[in-house]
Amino acid sequence: MTIKFILLATLASFFVYILLLPRKSMLRKGFVLAFVLVMVAFVLNPEWSSAIAARVGVGRGVDLLFYLSHLALFFIAFVYYLKFKDVELRFTRLVQQLALEGARSSQNRGDSH
Amino acid sequence: MPDQERLRGALERSFVVVRAYNEAQVLGPVIDDLHRAFPNIVLVNDGSTDATAEIARSLPVHLVTHLVNLGAGAAMQTGLTYALNCGADYIVTFDADGQHRVDDAVALLYELASGKCDVVYGSRFLGRPSIGMPATRRCILKAAAWFSRVTTHARLTDAHNGLRGFTRKAAAALEISQTGMAYASEITSQLVRHGMTIGEIPVEIVYTDYSLAKGQSSLNSVNILLDLVIGRLLK
Repeated sequence: MTIKFILLATLASFFVYILLLPRKSMLRKGFVLAFVLVMVAFVLNPEWSSAIAARVGVGRGVDLLFYLSHLALFFIAFVYYLKFKDVELRFTRLVQQLALEGARSSQNRGDSH
Repeated sequence: MPDQERLRGALERSFVVVRAYNEAQVLGPVIDDLHRAFPNIVLVNDGSTDATAEIARSLPVHLVTHLVNLGAGAAMQTGLTYALNCGADYIVTFDADGQHRVDDAVALLYELASGKCDVVYGSRFLGRPSIGMPATRRCILKAAAWFSRVTTHARLTDAHNGLRGFTRKAAAALEISQTGMAYASEITSQLVRHGMTIGEIPVEIVYTDYSLAKGQSSLNSVNILLDLVIGRLLK
């Protein structure tokens, strides 16, 4: 039973943390709340996940959660990859802009004609 | 001769963009060589960590410095933007490692100034064979050119040559977002999309030990391909 307390405590603190974050829309907070509630339900009734697993053709509930968490992690990695690419492009444009502005002053020195 | 005059006029109105990342060993002679023909040179120091910056300051160039290394594509875009801001009518890109011949750059500009096309690429696979090109490099470049032909429908024999010439109109149409080497295919597809005509002239590449050591590893072509595929998926 100890594991249930650990899981519930983690979920509860995660939820409180998200709620306290400023500048997050209520829609996002609603999603997080729904997610946390589903997780709490699975923690309290592990047999539910097995029932769903049987419905979709996976042997055990643990296996179903394993597959779903893999998909979720892949999705998260992809979202962060896109964000990284976006930041990289902004960074590039920033350095380029700085270079072009800095170049103007050295133009006369460099131009020997 | 009117031809000579036209060439001189084109030289005056052209800018050569040279990108340098840690090229201190060879930069001086390459720029001096170029400067004998081309009055306007833009040197993009792409965040070099060797003596490139100090050497560049004493050279007859417009010096543009990236505070950190961004990559070949980003440096090219910076150089093009700078040259356009200076009012360049023609822009020639030239590698800093001494693999191109200045005569080829002049021939390329001449072709550009004749007004037959908006862009002229130098090709290693037209006319004279290049000096000291390794067999693996030849295969990969042929494959890369094939990839460009298939993906952009531009009939090019060598889309990955650092020696290229752009008219003002063509250069202004470019917006390079691939910071690394994948930019080469990116610019070709952007040029095709904007309806620019691309011509080719034969050029010689001098493969020295220095340029081979400094240049692309053949294995890197896999990374470049990956960049392109991802870039295309995200469009």
